[in-house]
Formats: sequence, structure tokens, C-alpha cells
Amino acid sequence: MTLLSDTRYIFVRYLTKLVRTPILLFFSLFQPILFLALFTQLLGKLSSFPGVLPAGVTYLEFAAAGIVMQNAFGSALQSGNSIVADIDSGFLQKMLVTPLSRPAILLGRLSSDAFRVVVQTAIILGLAYGIGDAENKPFYVNTGVVGVLLIFFTLAFFGLAWSGISLALGMKTRSSETVFAIGGVITFPLLFLSPALFPLSFLPTWVKDVSMFNPVSYCVSATRALMINGYTWSTILPAWGVIGLVAVITMGATLYQFRKVVS
Amino acid sequence: MSAIIKVDNLVEVYSDGTKAVDDISFSVNEGEFFGFLGPNGAGKSTTIKILTTLLRKTSGTVNVAGYDVVKQAADIRKIIGVQSQETTVDGDLTGRENITLQGHFHQMNSDEIKKRVNELLSLVGLEEAADRRGRNYSGGMKKRLDLATALVHKPKILFLDEPTTGLDPQSRAAIWSYLEKLNKEEGITIFLTTQYLEEADKLCKRLAIIDSGKIVASGSPTELKRQIGADSIRISLENCKKDTANAKELIKSMTGVTEIIDSEECITVYAKNAGLLIADIVRALDSSDIRIASVTFSSPSLDDVFMKHTGRRIRTEELVKAPSPMWGGARR
Repeated sequence: MTLLSDTRYIFVRYLTKLVRTPILLFFSLFQPILFLALFTQLLGKLSSFPGVLPAGVTYLEFAAAGIVMQNAFGSALQSGNSIVADIDSGFLQKMLVTPLSRPAILLGRLSSDAFRVVVQTAIILGLAYGIGDAENKPFYVNTGVVGVLLIFFTLAFFGLAWSGISLALGMKTRSSETVFAIGGVITFPLLFLSPALFPLSFLPTWVKDVSMFNPVSYCVSATRALMINGYTWSTILPAWGVIGLVAVITMGATLYQFRKVVS
Repeated sequence: MSAIIKVDNLVEVYSDGTKAVDDISFSVNEGEFFGFLGPNGAGKSTTIKILTTLLRKTSGTVNVAGYDVVKQAADIRKIIGVQSQETTVDGDLTGRENITLQGHFHQMNSDEIKKRVNELLSLVGLEEAADRRGRNYSGGMKKRLDLATALVHKPKILFLDEPTTGLDPQSRAAIWSYLEKLNKEEGITIFLTTQYLEEADKLCKRLAIIDSGKIVASGSPTELKRQIGADSIRISLENCKKDTANAKELIKSMTGVTEIIDSEECITVYAKNAGLLIADIVRALDSSDIRIASVTFSSPSLDDVFMKHTGRRIRTEELVKAPSPMWGGARR
């Protein structure tokens, strides 16, 4: 299967590049880690107000789902820059004059994005565990190993859907500045107009209303459910559905742009 | 000899209406070292992109190694090696990794690749730098590595788009010697574009001179120069504006003079016996009180060939880093 082996070569290439550019890794992990540290310190007292957070849930446990979601966002939005870099340097062209499978170019990139989201999520969960331990308010994923795997899956899936946006934008505009600017503009509203970092009961009514239409809300709820409540399929399955829908749209746009680029 | 590249009535019109390639036809024989010589924007890169399946032609037929460039693009990609104008080395990977990756793109097996990588590293003299990352290479080293990556699968035809643009003379000479070796010893057909007269003259057995999307002349460098038929004397006058007309009048009637044109220096005289004429010209101008700043004599060069067909000289700019539209849009 050339598609599979070609995808693997592209996957390995992007991961090698990532590992050898630690500054990129640092910056994409920096923000979520900063948020993790800051928010848990600033809002740690929320759990002592009755009714704001579910009973017996610490703010750390609550916010962890939002932080890993933010991380998935950030990594995914860097994806488009990689394709812009390959277009600018001529490397994409260099791939295109070989028999290399065309879909493998995209699949390799996407799978490296997904892998990266999983690794970074694992790092953040580890840190959350560390913080919980230090504060004597243990943090752990209630659903155990399988739950962690499901969280990885949800976030990687979510990351792929968002990679699609930055990839399509990158190929359309061929400018990493644009990808960054638009990425930044959409990340924060989507994150803050959802129950990612603040409980819904804490938010004004209009934000609650908006959050109903925000795909991020569904993913955060699913991740949070897996961390705190258990296998609440009535929350998890709709989230996968929403991500799937987003992915169909963003991947459609990506494929459309990619075809224009390679033809 | 059989034609390995055959192009008939090729036209490329970009979406903005620019005619980048305007009805060109040519063929390249198997084992030949063939070149496109022309200034920036002449249509050289566009032609290479069409031949290497990167850009879709507007009309005409293009056949590479017996395959149609549109219908059998996949077959063509297996047997061509391409070095584009941009140096496309992945800076995060080492030299060895760059070549290896390219071998994987060509579906070679790992043992084959390993052997080939070592061969290529020694061909382009990068054995010592093989395990350093591409970003730490000098410009010349990157070009050499780029060439090596294009050769990994032993292509039948090698396409080189301005392989030495922006390089220092030493690196240029090194690239030239590799290319000659590949052509002579391995029989690889080479299609090269260049804006350097010297490069075309030295390497190419046959040339097409291209300007504004059209082939204006073709043949071997010697043939093309012979067509000029005359040496040139470039004369620069201290007061060019005032004296040009007089000077031309004086020189016109001398025996052997075939043509006088205005040029950058001031005027250029083409003549059969130029060496002998110089003294006469100097005397004639001097006695008419026309002061000469300098006189240079030269045998016909490819620049004269270009001049004859286009009325202009090839301006060789040192390209530092031009923005590079790849899939149409702008012309080169």
C-alpha cells in the first residue's frame, strides 16, 4: 500500500521537524500550561461557593477539560502554517514531481497533528495530576485508562477538524500571518463563549445561549464527562457528531483547496 | 537519435491573460544536454513546470519519454528528476535524511536507498556534512544537496531550472562539473534553463533562445554564434549623444562593416575583419575630433546572438530571493 507507507513518511517528516524545533512545541504548550497554572490559582476558590461547580468537583477538575481543548485548538491552528511553509519553500512542489501519493501529503500532516494533540494532552493531564497532588486535591480521570483513550480520541478528532480550517486557509491565502491572525481571532471567542473555563451557571444568559451553538461546548462537555462523571454517552456521542459535522465542512474546504494546489 | 522530449505548439496563458509561453515547438534527443537560455520572465520556468507535470498547459502537445504530459503524468514522474529554481532542502532534516526521504517518495526500498544516498553524497561532495541539518548548509551546499535529491531514483531525464542562479563562481563550477559528468558518464538527458550566457555556452550541446514566451533561435552554441558571422567592436564615446550620428557615418563606409547598432556602450559595430578595422576606426574618429572613451573587441558571443534576435541584451540579475508563485498567477 503506497498510500499507507507514503503517509507514514510524511508523518515522520513532520514529527521530526516538530521535535527539532522545540521552540514551536514550547510555544504551543506554553499557553495551555499558563492557563492551567493561572486559572486554577485564580479561580480555585470557586469550588467553595455552593452551586457553581457540581458538588465535590474542584476547579482544577473542572477546568482541565477546557485547557486540553484549548491546547488542541492551538496545535491545530499551527497546521496551516506548515503547509504555507512547504508551499513557500517549494518543498510541496518537490513532492508533487514524484510519484508520491497525493492524499498522503494531507493524511501525513493530519495524522502528525493528531499525534501531537494526543502527546500534548497527555503532558497537560500529567501536570494537572501534579498540581492536584501538590494541593492535596487529587486530580484523576474517573473513567480510567479507557476513558483517557477516549479523551485522546475526542481531542485528536477535534484537532483534526480544526486543522482543516487552518490548512484550507493556509492553502487559500498562502500567508502564515493570515492563518495566525484568523486563528487567534476565532480561538478565544469560541473558547470563552463555552463552558470551557467557566461553569455555565456563572455566565450571563446570552453567553449560555451562544454556547449552545458553539461546537467547542459539546467537546468540552464530553471531555469533562469522561473525566468527572463517567461514560455519559448522552453527552459524548453528540459531541462526536458535532465534531464530525465540523470535520466534514473543514475537510471539504481543505480538499477543495488542496485539489486546486496540486492540479 | 530519438527525441525523448517532444513539444509542439505549446501555449500557456495565465488566468490574468498573460501569455507566458507563446506557441513554442522543440525537441530534445535522448542523452542530449539541452538548454533554454533567456532573461527573467521569458517563459523558461513555465515551460519546465509544464514538462514536469506541475502546471497544466493551455494548448499544444507535450510528450516526455513517450508519455503524454497530461494523460500519463504519473508515468513521467517516475522517470524524471527535477531541481526547481528555489532550493528546496528541508532545513530541519540532515542532508542524508533529505535524500533518503526523496528516495521513499520514489518508492525505493531501504537498502537501495542507503546505497544510493552514499553514492550521491560522494558525487556532490557532501559526505562530511551528511549528518548536519540542511539549515546549516551554505547556499552552494544546499544547491548540491538539492541536486542529489533529484538524482536519487536514477532519473532518465533531469530538469534543472536555473541550477546556479545566485551561486558564487566556485559553487557554480562545481555544479557544472557534476552535470557534465552525469550527462557524459551516465547518459542522463539534461534539460536546463539558465540566464547565464557562459553556462549555456559551456554546458549545452544544443540551445533554444527564448524571449517573451517565444523561441527566437535554436542550435548549438557554435552554430548560433557562427550565424552572427561577424565580430563585434563596442565603442564608447566621451560624448555619445552628440557624436553618435557622425561616428556612424564615418564607420559605415569602411570595408567589412556589416552592421552598426546603438548599444549600451554607445555603438556596436559588427564586422568580418574587426581586428584590422580597429585602427581605421580610431584614426577616422580621431581626425574628426570625436573623442573615444574605450574600444572593446570581441568574437561573437551568445549575448550577440540574443541581441541580434531581440534587440536587447540578456540582463543577468543576481536573484537574491524573488517571490515564487508556483502554480500560475504570475509570470517568471
